[in-house]
Amino acid sequence: MSVDITSIDPYIRQFAVARSLLPGAGFAWLDAKRDAAIKRFGSNGFPTAKVEAWKFTNLNPLTQTTFHNVVVPSQPALTKAALAPYRLTPDCHLVVFVNGQFRPDLSALDHVPDGTRVVGLGDADEDDLHALIAPPSVAADSRARSLLDLNTAFMNDGAVVHLGRGAVLDPVQLLFVAIPDSAPLAFQPRNLIRAEAGSSATVLETYVSLGVGAYWTNVVTQIAIAPNAILRHYKLQAEGGSAFHVAATSVRLERQAAYRMFAVSLGAELGRNEFDIDLAATDATARLAGVTLACDAQHLDTTIRIDHSKPRGTSSQEFRSVVAGHAHAVFQGRIRVAPDAQKTDARQSSRNLLLSAAAAADTKPELEILADDVKCSHGATVGDLDRDALFYLQARGVDEADARSILIDAFLNELIEGIGGQAARAYFRRACDSWLAKGSRP
Amino acid sequence: MLNIEDLHVEVDGKEILHGLDLRVPPGEVHAMMGPNGSGKSTLAYTLAGREGYAVTRGRVLFQGQDLTAMKPEERAQEGVFLAFQYPVEIPGVSNANFLKSAVNAVRRHRGQPELDAIEFLKLARQRLKLLNMDEASLSRPVNVGFSGGEKKRNEIFQMWMLDPRLAILDETDSGLDIDALKIVAEGVNALRGPGRATLLITHYQRLLDYVVPDKVHVLAAGRIIKSGDKELALELEAKGYADLVKAAAT
Ligand SMILES: Nc1ncnc2c1ncn2[C@@H]1O[C@H](COP(=O)(O)OP(=O)(O)OP(=O)(O)O)[C@@H](O)[C@H]1O
Ligand SMILES: [Mg+2]
Repeated sequence: MSVDITSIDPYIRQFAVARSLLPGAGFAWLDAKRDAAIKRFGSNGFPTAKVEAWKFTNLNPLTQTTFHNVVVPSQPALTKAALAPYRLTPDCHLVVFVNGQFRPDLSALDHVPDGTRVVGLGDADEDDLHALIAPPSVAADSRARSLLDLNTAFMNDGAVVHLGRGAVLDPVQLLFVAIPDSAPLAFQPRNLIRAEAGSSATVLETYVSLGVGAYWTNVVTQIAIAPNAILRHYKLQAEGGSAFHVAATSVRLERQAAYRMFAVSLGAELGRNEFDIDLAATDATARLAGVTLACDAQHLDTTIRIDHSKPRGTSSQEFRSVVAGHAHAVFQGRIRVAPDAQKTDARQSSRNLLLSAAAAADTKPELEILADDVKCSHGATVGDLDRDALFYLQARGVDEADARSILIDAFLNELIEGIGGQAARAYFRRACDSWLAKGSRP
Repeated sequence: MLNIEDLHVEVDGKEILHGLDLRVPPGEVHAMMGPNGSGKSTLAYTLAGREGYAVTRGRVLFQGQDLTAMKPEERAQEGVFLAFQYPVEIPGVSNANFLKSAVNAVRRHRGQPELDAIEFLKLARQRLKLLNMDEASLSRPVNVGFSGGEKKRNEIFQMWMLDPRLAILDETDSGLDIDALKIVAEGVNALRGPGRATLLITHYQRLLDYVVPDKVHVLAAGRIIKSGDKELALELEAKGYADLVKAAAT
């Protein structure tokens, strides 16, 4: 495969300049990882539709622009009050990043409980850096992970959340704020969440923009959940309308560890939310659910790979999309059950509601089951609003537009109601409601 | 109140109603009977404005206005109510939210102030009690998991809440136990009065024991073949439709 030099060359040159300024520079092992990563990026280039994992998501709009990785960005002035609307609760622990850079002045980390550590990447220790850089344990074509490599090369800030044994952190919000510049900027955060045995945490990631203009968030989040620990992970992707958002989250679960994830994706011109989940030990549980709301010309992709490596694991994927305008939603879900992962229970469902003739949804399940004693199910639907229900509502006097909203709302609420935490449930309902108020109107 | 002249209706390119005439004056209750597949529900859906029910000839006037030019919600706001033969299940939408939206849409149209949540619930509870229905049904999704009879009662509950001018009940009596039948009948009788009219589509005389109709019509193969007073329903109960249909054909 020939690689498009013009799209990758600027990043290779930017890296040469940035290399010695990046966090951890001088650790020979880390420098070597960064060098190897940029080299792989150079030879693989941006993923194209020829790479199976990217066949529904064309990155051309992203590759046509050169984004600038700024190692020491200017610090735009911002007040805490300006961030209030995006907070989960007024008093939750808060880590704020502006244009990719940690902003202690805007964060709220004074009351982080004993046994937990929440710091920026600049304060990461060498252990953290090793964990941050570890490749995902779920296998994939290296060409599919080219943007993860780019992040490895450029990562220069992010959140490190470390929960000691039995620690409880409930909740912490990682708020990524973009203030677009006239020159398109690239932000490459790298987050680490380590939950030691028996700990419990709720972590919300929020991505928003306080301005108009193109930028690119290319974020990687590494999560390790030790035996009997539980992580509730939420994510709201509400980037600006001209933004690009690519996220790769990789999660490794130990014995009896539990991972709950809920994501709402409604921002960005092009967005990809990718999860690699390894149920690496027995009796682990991973439940992922989410909602994609796409309108205008948006393209929003959710791609999940779940590996059941050991016996008695439980996983579920429940995703829904509402697609308006000529937007495009993608859902890909791969379930792999290793030969000795007996008594696995894996479920997957993807339901997509198309609100206009030009809206599209692609959904692709992929099952590789190498054990015989497993329960595995998957289902996918792509369709219009239920006409009978619509008529029933109208026949009671409800205007067509309101009737449509009521039905879309119901479609989403069935998932939102399943969110465990009350604050998160309210947070996501608000996000969906404000989208419904504008996005769903034909 | 309702004035139908030479109504022809096509569904999926096939004509189902072949020139139907019907007048229901204000204050009256008319029963519509007829064999399966004769077009009763087609008439009901046409009056409610369901998509795909094309009026190819004739006209329908409701309170002097051309009903066929209105959207379904406008008809409902003007006071047309259809109790569905097969009420639709709507997962994820609670009965209370659904009905509050509907009641307030109708109230707005009538220039009445909207009900807030407390006023709405008060009214709803009162009506539910009169219908001997469980209050918990308000928080359940619309018709989901309701038994056949519960769905029919829910239709009557909605009718009461919306206070229509013209109620069309499509086999609301089918599948009801005798107590529920009496409740439905009371519901219909309660809405009897000047300025209101009811069209009762039914297969059975027993509802008409409780709601005595002013007129009874027989619909067969898309036309009204006979109209009469309440005695006609008794006659049909005894003899069936066969002779009538044969007589109409010759
Ligand atoms: N979509 C359709 N396409 C073609 N024919 C249809 C369609 N819908 C209904 N019909 C036909 O129209 C005729 C009238 O149906 P309708 O439901 O109005 O009967 P009905 O009098 O209500 O019967 P029942 O007493 O069984 O409820 C039937 O022959 C039916 O098969
Ligand atoms: Mg019928």
